[in-house]
Amino acid sequence: MFLESVRLALRSIARNKMRSLLTLLGVIIGVAAVIALLTIGGGAREQIRAEMAGQGSRLIFAFAGMVRDPASPAEIKVQPLTNEHLMNLDKSIGQHATIAAQAETRLRVSYGARGLSAQIRGVSESYFTLREWTLKRGRLLSPLEVASHAGTCVIGSKVAKALFGTENPIGARIRIGHPHCRVVGELAPKGASFSGDQDTLALIPLGLFQIRISGRNELAQILINAPSEALVAPLKVRVAEEMRRLRRIAPGRNDDFQVDDMAEYMRQAGSIIGNVTAILGAIAAISLLVGGIGIMNIMLVSVTERTREIGIRMAIGARQRDILVQFLTEASVLSLLGGLIGIGLGLAIAWVVTAFMNVSFVPNLTAVSAIAAVSAMIGIVFGFFPALRGARLDPIDALRHE
Amino acid sequence: MNAPGKTAPLLAFENVWRSYGGGDTQVHALSGVSFGIERGTFTAVTGPSGSGKSTTMNILGALDVPSRGIYRFMGSDAGRLDNASRAELRNRHIGFVFQGYNLLPRTTALENVELPLIYRGLPPPARHAMAEKALEQVGLEGRRHHTPAALSGGQQQRVAIARALVSEPTLLVADEPTGNLDTERSREIMALLTALNRERGLTIVMVTHEADIAAFASRQISFHDGRIAFDSDAGAAV
Repeated sequence: MFLESVRLALRSIARNKMRSLLTLLGVIIGVAAVIALLTIGGGAREQIRAEMAGQGSRLIFAFAGMVRDPASPAEIKVQPLTNEHLMNLDKSIGQHATIAAQAETRLRVSYGARGLSAQIRGVSESYFTLREWTLKRGRLLSPLEVASHAGTCVIGSKVAKALFGTENPIGARIRIGHPHCRVVGELAPKGASFSGDQDTLALIPLGLFQIRISGRNELAQILINAPSEALVAPLKVRVAEEMRRLRRIAPGRNDDFQVDDMAEYMRQAGSIIGNVTAILGAIAAISLLVGGIGIMNIMLVSVTERTREIGIRMAIGARQRDILVQFLTEASVLSLLGGLIGIGLGLAIAWVVTAFMNVSFVPNLTAVSAIAAVSAMIGIVFGFFPALRGARLDPIDALRHE
Repeated sequence: MNAPGKTAPLLAFENVWRSYGGGDTQVHALSGVSFGIERGTFTAVTGPSGSGKSTTMNILGALDVPSRGIYRFMGSDAGRLDNASRAELRNRHIGFVFQGYNLLPRTTALENVELPLIYRGLPPPARHAMAEKALEQVGLEGRRHHTPAALSGGQQQRVAIARALVSEPTLLVADEPTGNLDTERSREIMALLTALNRERGLTIVMVTHEADIAAFASRQISFHDGRIAFDSDAGAAV
C-alpha cells in the first residue's frame, strides 16, 4: 500500500515536471543554503582544529594591554613587555613550562633589486619548540644562533618566491631593513588561515631584532607552553600573578597586560563561525518555510484537480485514510526530492567555496541525513492540510466533479 | 439482525428517507421508500431526473446513508456504518459502473482494473492475475496496456465493468451504463451485463431512463417525487 503510494506519487510528479520543479525551488534553495553553510562552517571549524593541533592547544600568550590612566582618561598607555619580564617569568615558572618570546614589526625584505614588505619576527631560543614548523628546505635557527644574535634567518614561502623565484634561497644574504642576514631555511607554505598570512614572514634571532632593528628590549608576546592541557588554566593564573608582581600593579588596579591561551582563541573563532552559521541558518529556515507553503499550495491544486479521481477511488473502496496517505506521500516525496536536489546543490556550492577559501571540504553526513529527513517532514507537515481536504471529500460530490 | 437465509433478501430499504437542508427549506430526495432486492436478480430503476433514483443508487452503493429509515445490506444496517466500514463494504461487496466510465486517466486498463484490489491490500502478482482474468471476461485481454484515451467508449465501459467484477462483488450498481454509448455498443454492454446476471448469478441494480435498456432487466422499479411509483415485482417488496 505504501509502496503503491510512492509509485503513484512519483508518477504524478513526473506528469507535472515543470510545475513540480518550480514548486520545489523554495525547498531546494533552503536546503542548498543550509547544506552549503553547514559544510563550509564545518570546514572552517576543521581548519581551526587542525591549526590548534599544529600550533599547540597548550600555548599561553602574554602581551601588553591597554590601560586608561584615571587621571587623564583620554590617554591610553601601553606599557610594553620587556626582556626583563621574560627572564623573570623564566626564573619563576621556567621549570614547569617552556617559555619563549617574540618581537615583531613590518619591514622591507630585499635581495638585490627584488623586495617586499614582510612580517619580521625576532624569536627567542625555545620559540621553535613551541610550534610545529614544516620546512621546505634548509633548517630552523639553531639555539646557538639565537643566543649569539647571529645574522641568520628563516623565510616564509612567499618571501622566498618574491626574492628568489624558484631558485634555492639557502645560503643567500638578504637584507631585512638595514642589516644583512643569511638564509638558512625556507618554510613550507601554510596558506591563509584564521591567524592571518603565515607565509610573508622572516624569522630572525630576537637579539638581532632588538639590537639592529627595533633598538629596544621590548617584546610583542611572551609564549608559555603548558606541559598538559589541564595545566593551562592554573598556569595562566600563575603567569598573571607573576606579571602583576613584575609590573608592580597595586592590588585593586586593573591588569595592564593580557594573558590568553590558544584554546580560547579557537573557541572565540569557533563561536564567531557558530553565530554566523546560526544567522544564515535562520534565513535558510525561512526559505524552507516558504518552500513548505509552496508545497501546500501545489498540493491544494493537485487535490482539486484530482477530485474526480478521489471520488473514483473512494467508490471502489479507498478509505479516507488511504486518500490521506496517498497525498501525504506525494507531498513528502515531492519535498524529499527537493531536499535531495538541494543537498546536491548545497554540496556543490560548498565544494567550490571551500576550494576558494582554502578550507577542507568535509560534508557532514549527519547533517545531510537530518536535512533529508527534515525535507520529507516539510512535505508531511505542509501536505497534511491539502491531504486532509482530499480525504474528507464526499465521494458523491467528488464523483460529480468535472 | 436477520440471519441470511433463503427468504431474506440481499438488501432492503425499510422506510428510507433522504433529506437535505433543514427547517423550512428542507428537501426530501426520498420520502419513505421500501423495497427489497433478492440475490441473483436484475433490477432496473427508472424515473425522471429529480425523482430520487440517483439518491437510491448512492444509498444502495453505500456512498450515502439514509437520513431516516434502515438500509439493510446482507442482514446488517449499512446506514449506521462509519466511513471506513462503508469503504470496506464497497470494496468487498459492491461494484460500480458509471455513465461516464470513471476510469483513471493516463492509467492502463490493467492498472485501472487492479485498483480495488490495491485497497484490499493484495500483493501485485495476485492483483495482476485477477485483473487479467477480469479483462478476459469482458473480452479486453488484448488491451490491458492501453490507457482510456486509446480505447473507444464501449471498450472503456468494458474496462469499468472489469474493474467492478475484479473484486467479485455481491452487488453490481450500474448508473446509466449505456448513457454515453451508441445503440450498437449499448446492446453489447447490456448483453455483457445480462450474461453476468444469468451465468454468474450476479445481482444487478441499474439506473436508466431508456425504456429499451430497462427492458433487459427482469424487474422494474420506477421512482417519482421521491417515492416508488411502480414496481413490477410489488409482491416481493418488504
